[in-house]
Amino acid sequence: MMEVGKIITISDISIEIILSNTDVKIGDILEVQNDHKYVFEIIEVNNISATCVSLYTTRGLQKGSIVIKVSDGLEIEYSDKILGRVFNSYGTIIDGLPFESEHKVKVNNDTVSLKEVKVENDPLWTGIKVIDFFAPLQKGFKMGLLGGAGVGKTVLIKELIHNIYSSSNSNAVFVGAGERSREGKELYEDMKSSNLLDKMVMVFGQMGDNPVSRSKSVATGLRMAEYLRDEKKQDVLIFIDNIYRFIQAKAEIATDLKELLIENGYPANMANEVSQIEERINSNNNGSITSFQAIYIPADDLTDDAVQTVMSYMDGQIVLDRKIAELGLYPAINVFKSTSKLIDAEKIGERHYNLVEKVLACLTRYEELEEIIAVLGIEELSEEDKNIFYRSRKLRNYFSQPMFVAESYTNIKGEFVDIKDVLDDVENILKGKYDTVDESKFRYIGKYNG
Amino acid sequence: MELNKIDKKVEEIKNNDNIYSVGKVIKVNPYTVIVSGLNDITYYEEVDIADKAKGFVFAVGKNSVTISIVEITEKINPGDLVYSLKKQFKCLFSMDSMGKVIDIFGNDLIADKKFDNLVEVPIENDPLPLMDRDLVTREFLTGITGIDMLYPIGRGQRQLIIGDKKTGKTQIALDAIVNQKDKNMVCIYVAIGKTKKEVKDIYYELAKRGAASYTIIIASFHDELPNRTYLTPYVALSIAEEMMLDAYDVLVVIDDLKKHADVYRQISLASKKTPGRDAYPSDIFYAHSKLLEKGCQHKNGGSITILPIIETKSSDITDYISTNIISICDGQLVLSSKNFAKGEKPALNYGLSVSRLGGNVQDKEMKKLGSLVRNELLEYLDVRDVYELANIDEMSPELQKRMKDGKIILDKLRQYKFAPKSKEEMLSLYRFLEVGENDGSR
Repeated sequence: MMEVGKIITISDISIEIILSNTDVKIGDILEVQNDHKYVFEIIEVNNISATCVSLYTTRGLQKGSIVIKVSDGLEIEYSDKILGRVFNSYGTIIDGLPFESEHKVKVNNDTVSLKEVKVENDPLWTGIKVIDFFAPLQKGFKMGLLGGAGVGKTVLIKELIHNIYSSSNSNAVFVGAGERSREGKELYEDMKSSNLLDKMVMVFGQMGDNPVSRSKSVATGLRMAEYLRDEKKQDVLIFIDNIYRFIQAKAEIATDLKELLIENGYPANMANEVSQIEERINSNNNGSITSFQAIYIPADDLTDDAVQTVMSYMDGQIVLDRKIAELGLYPAINVFKSTSKLIDAEKIGERHYNLVEKVLACLTRYEELEEIIAVLGIEELSEEDKNIFYRSRKLRNYFSQPMFVAESYTNIKGEFVDIKDVLDDVENILKGKYDTVDESKFRYIGKYNG
Repeated sequence: MELNKIDKKVEEIKNNDNIYSVGKVIKVNPYTVIVSGLNDITYYEEVDIADKAKGFVFAVGKNSVTISIVEITEKINPGDLVYSLKKQFKCLFSMDSMGKVIDIFGNDLIADKKFDNLVEVPIENDPLPLMDRDLVTREFLTGITGIDMLYPIGRGQRQLIIGDKKTGKTQIALDAIVNQKDKNMVCIYVAIGKTKKEVKDIYYELAKRGAASYTIIIASFHDELPNRTYLTPYVALSIAEEMMLDAYDVLVVIDDLKKHADVYRQISLASKKTPGRDAYPSDIFYAHSKLLEKGCQHKNGGSITILPIIETKSSDITDYISTNIISICDGQLVLSSKNFAKGEKPALNYGLSVSRLGGNVQDKEMKKLGSLVRNELLEYLDVRDVYELANIDEMSPELQKRMKDGKIILDKLRQYKFAPKSKEEMLSLYRFLEVGENDGSR
């Protein structure tokens, strides 16, 4: 407990301190001793003053308050004690249950070096037809989950946790970054009631929290994933909902610090900030980290700088589409835009690859036909186009799926579908085996059972 | 000379004991002033500017302090003395506000006088701990079939109402308020940047329908200081939060948040914050997320349901502010000007509307029939466009039935304003679908 100086400026999320003791460095944690909790992290220091961000609100903080140093960096639990527990962005337990620390480490860690990064791995099936078919995964992949607001992103994340996680023994980390608290609590209750909670860790810095909390939740969750990978030698799953909020929070902090910003108000060092996170989410010889990162798209603008910066790290992407959601087809995945690096005849096999090509060609023609039909009616189409038209509608319906976590919306029980069944069904639809079956029979089913 | 005066004044005030910190105005902007001195001020402290104006500390700088003004009676001059009041800035509220139109400083705007029994309300509390929340499962009924059956709202949910001008956004909120009669719900209607005429109309409309006894209207108009308008929804939610912690169910309508965003942009640009997308400040998302996150089902039984409203231009719900709010809320009711013009009222766009809580907040029967109706309707809307020109006699019997049922479903969703339906009435409208379902003819 060392006195370091006095507060001379205060704004919403940052303060400046005139130093009486220059033995401080970036990352140190400072405090004002008061009834209220005022905690700061140094982000810039010179020989007379230090700039800090505030971990909590600064309202009620007095100019001239004496600041003391309490530690030289945020610390989090680094042991099996994290499993089944819920933390805030600063590594504090928030589930209200007793907790005894076993071993703590600093939150900050190095990125994985080029030498250590491992790229080859086994495929990872999700049981969700449209993903396994169009955008299959491999352990260690980073999958972007893109989608505007309200098209079912979070439901898909929950379904992925449910499916992948319940079929593997690995522990998982869920990071809630700048998303809804209601959903955080719901996810917690869901996991508890499905007996999955004790195999995962949750970290929350939700959208009601200040930007410092929202931006730090990612690194905190990541440190825990690193524990599982490096100490427990696991293939870890990490879900980040939502990585865009991390950049958004950084932009808010940069604005408050009066930094010069790039277009749309993003911080100039955005590429570096994102890299510091993304290059830690990698597989090494200890184990793999497969990540699903929800990416919010501001103003439905895919060309947004922040979205593009994050996207460059992804091995694949799953794009949710409002137009498909409008049709009531969930998961509302746009199959033209969703893909992964595995879609390659050498990696996934000739049959799967060819089927994907055929389906995409068929659906592309369908979109053209829709326009023709709007003018001329179906009867004017050639026999071949009619087949394409009806089969495409069946395919489109077939790629909707009842989801376990969406039972309350759809009233239909969820299903995990084997990729072999998906390939068979798709092949049969394309070949015309089901031409006499009504298209509504393909809506919200698992595999087709005749 | 001047300095001596201040020193003397400071001495005087120090002896007086309740006000002792004094500064001096060095620059006057339209709604902020820059003050020198006040060296032991606290952030968000309330200050008095020479008995002419009231404000709070918005930023503490090295040699100066920025004050946001919320009340002004006389022009401020450079050199005016600024007294810190040694307390956090708070707003005022009276429990007698029920059935009144009020502002956030304890004024009854229709009677044009201050309430007597005022209590202080913080402008904002810390975010509610995650674990103090409970699941949103209790129904909140609006009396509108298209909402209660298809896109239901639960107590503690944040459901956005979004659409162009003149599509019936406010009407849906008013319908919802009127339908809360005898349902043990306190309603708070927050009018931001609406015209005085509109607010008075709403006041009469609610009073006429017996909703005044449980409704408070909190209004802030564009002819006021922007800081007041900016603070209004936060204070409204603080009031709601206190009621929720006393285990009340509260409904807050915020009409509308786009105007609030614009006021915040105005304040931010005036304070020289670097603008981001569409010139809004980078923290515009946070400004709304911390506000709307107050909506919740509390573990003690109380709840805050929020119906924010956003006005769009040419039916574009993908602009910056709209998508921000959509990503905060638990669903959205999208209103379409096309449907409105066609006379399909409420003019809901059933394809674009979403409730993320869905059946979780409905009772068993509503959930079952509701999801059936929604699926049938969406399928109908999907095929309607494709098969519009096709000859109905040449369609498969299944398709014919779907087209026929779809049209009936859509027609039955029409509902006039202030004509709430009970759950039983809604269910009976669509029983005919269940019959088909049960006898296996489908």
